[in-house]
Amino acid sequence: MSKKKSDQELIVSRQILSIPQRFSTGPVMGRFLQELRDNKRIMANKCPKCGRHQLPPREVCAVCGVEATDWEELGPEGAVRDFDIVYYASPDPLTGTTRDVPYVLCWVNLDGTQGDAPLWHLLDVADLAKVRRGLRVRAVFAEERTGVMEDIKHFEIIEGPSDDI
Amino acid sequence: MAEQTNYATVIDGQMALPYQYLAGATGSKFIVALRDDKKILGIRCEKCAKTFVPPRQTCERCFSDLTDNWVELEPTGEVTGFTVIRYPEPYQPKKTPYVLALIKLDGADTPFAHVLECGDTANAKIGMKVKAVFADEPKDSLLDISHFEPVDD
Repeated sequence: MSKKKSDQELIVSRQILSIPQRFSTGPVMGRFLQELRDNKRIMANKCPKCGRHQLPPREVCAVCGVEATDWEELGPEGAVRDFDIVYYASPDPLTGTTRDVPYVLCWVNLDGTQGDAPLWHLLDVADLAKVRRGLRVRAVFAEERTGVMEDIKHFEIIEGPSDDI
Repeated sequence: MAEQTNYATVIDGQMALPYQYLAGATGSKFIVALRDDKKILGIRCEKCAKTFVPPRQTCERCFSDLTDNWVELEPTGEVTGFTVIRYPEPYQPKKTPYVLALIKLDGADTPFAHVLECGDTANAKIGMKVKAVFADEPKDSLLDISHFEPVDD
């Protein structure tokens, strides 16, 4: 291959393909999403054997392997269990455009959670230095809700003292 | 479940897939010649006596470097195979139904795929003589040839 720098015009094709897709919620995730949309409630299901919550809910307890048929409302407040501050502008899978960075992803154990079942969502925070484990946060619901995860717009910080975990 | 309420729903969505295709030095020269000069360039391997269209940098038979062995071809050729595309999908170059043909240009040894416009799709035939129709607007792609159309013998 030639080492000399080329002044040749090089063709690059950049496109965003838009691919239609369908997601079937099934009855359990379907109930979770409908509760978000209609009642602004975050519903977890509970294993009848070990008592742990699953959020988002799943049909079968991942530990006991029994059908998890009980439902309980959790939150909407909770404590940050873990978080990521994201600096890499990866494309949004739904639009192909990049998000504004940095943004914060948080895993929140909602109040009332038995066991460890954090819900994963965006945390809206102006000052990144405030983000830490144990931070008290609350779910903010979207005005227009359509039965998707974005019916929770994001979590926001509850001002006041918080416990480290 | 004791209480049988059906919560299952189907969520329709769109998934976006960003991508980029780099034509490379050889492919770029080919496309720029189509776009700016309305010329179809190929690359010839003298050792194998084969002319490749679209051009490639390396001979697929003897692996010789062919970078500078450019030849210009006539915009005419022959259909060596074809299919009728009936299933519409986004990103297809033409509206269905249309004919996607393998066209071996006069002087070339390899056919390449392009759209054949021959009126009714039933008119498409292997052995049909065709010529390239160039696009009016620059496309920066193989679609700088708009399509091929039949020529009378």
